[in-house]
Amino acid sequence: MSVEALDRVTVTRAVKTVVIAESRLSIDPDAVSGDEPLNGELLRVNSFGFVGMLVRLEDDLGVTLPDDLFVGRTFTTVDDLVAVVLDAVEAAR
Amino acid sequence: MTELPTSWRSVLPHLTTPLPEDRSPDRAAGGGIGVNLPMELVRQSIQPREYWQIPDEVLDAYRKFRPTPLWRATGFEEAVGAKVPVYVKYEGGNISGSHKLNTALAQAYYYKRAGVAELVTGTGAGQWGTALAAACALFGLRCTVFMVGSSLARKPYRGVLMRMLGAEVLASPTGTTRVSRETEGQGNSLSLAIGEAVEYAAGKEGAAFCIGSGETYSILHQSVIGVEAIAQLAELEADVDAVVGCVGAGSNFGGIALPFHAEAAAGGTRPPRLVAAESSSTPKLTRGVYAYDQTDATGTGPLEAMYTIGSSYSIPDSHSAGLRYHGAAKLVSAMRHAGQVDAVAVDQVEALEAGRRFTVRETVLPAPESGHALAAAARLAADGAERGVLVCVSGHGYLDLAAYQQLLDGELSDQAPAEEALLAAVSGLPRVEGARV
Repeated sequence: MSVEALDRVTVTRAVKTVVIAESRLSIDPDAVSGDEPLNGELLRVNSFGFVGMLVRLEDDLGVTLPDDLFVGRTFTTVDDLVAVVLDAVEAAR
Repeated sequence: MTELPTSWRSVLPHLTTPLPEDRSPDRAAGGGIGVNLPMELVRQSIQPREYWQIPDEVLDAYRKFRPTPLWRATGFEEAVGAKVPVYVKYEGGNISGSHKLNTALAQAYYYKRAGVAELVTGTGAGQWGTALAAACALFGLRCTVFMVGSSLARKPYRGVLMRMLGAEVLASPTGTTRVSRETEGQGNSLSLAIGEAVEYAAGKEGAAFCIGSGETYSILHQSVIGVEAIAQLAELEADVDAVVGCVGAGSNFGGIALPFHAEAAAGGTRPPRLVAAESSSTPKLTRGVYAYDQTDATGTGPLEAMYTIGSSYSIPDSHSAGLRYHGAAKLVSAMRHAGQVDAVAVDQVEALEAGRRFTVRETVLPAPESGHALAAAARLAADGAERGVLVCVSGHGYLDLAAYQQLLDGELSDQAPAEEALLAAVSGLPRVEGARV
């Protein structure tokens, strides 16, 4: 997938797909809202699986996430993750 | 003349089955999630890419001590009655005195690039702590090292060197962390030192915990050893059918051996025997079980699929602190389970005697850990190997002369674990699916 073709809708769907898989769920991505907690009652993403999930997102979307994700940043909801991927898409353009 | 490799070589594309996923400890829902590893290290652990370009800054640092020497050890061959040539790859010629600097430099580079200000770690014999202290000094990072206290007392100059390099060195158990208070110093001393480092880093802003061995990315960084060795053997027109390295968690063994597996797999040829030499006091690959176990004493990290003698097992003290770890790296363990890695256990006396013979005949003083590899290589060269043996001498033994003194005085002994103690330590561990029990 080319970076040029990545819009918010595409990125959001890709993010929801990987967090659903990481949570070992079989549900429609549309059933997950943007403010859904990554580690809550529905989604069960933890810090160990999280980094691997980021690499899968990179592979799926053909983007490279920045190294400084490491420092002082926490991700609470699906939208937090969508935002960081969109930033990476923007930087790649 | 062999040139410094510009890429690390991963074996991941050549595994017959994917690595088992880590298991997370049960946690309550809620709270934010942080990224606990620089992205490039994550990619190196997961992506099945064979070649990874070594960053220029790391290459510049490597040039000060690499390529490391490889030679035919004819004197050692004679001393051990070898029937085939024995080739030695020597990793002790850098400030850390061991192979550990290969990954310390890479990790310090990636953590620095990720914006981290301080690296925190645990170390057994002190080679890793020294390597990390040196790498942090080079890349401008603060460094805090929790070193197994008994090892630090035995080798105080390790502490001096780390402090010279700017690191803060703490003798573990410190009594200042929760994990050291709760365990009261019992259990596996290296996993406790690592646990203290994990806890300390988690509570300090700008700090990150990092580890020298066992992780797939650290084995990738160590592949520079094997990649060089393949080229050096070709230059000598030498052929080996066995490659030997000692195993604590597995980065030295993985570094020397796994590029040979990748080379053979890529070329469609039969790989040499890859022989992991472990201490008989920590016999995870020869007497352990393939199960999910903790990597440190805090119990907060993921459970990894590994050959283990149980993270709760109290490993007897020995002079090979670098081998005193309860489990083997998940990559090495998976290849062991798939039949691609052999293992032998070596007693401390046999290891140091092999080290003594090597010192006399090759005029190079090996670390006690490396003595285990030399002893295993001697066995293979005398009986088993048909064309030649390559062995990695992972480090020098200048700070281990007290161990050689005990050998010379006849005061060295061995403490292999009792079967009941091993069974008790692994009894509650969930076995990896499909594993033999």
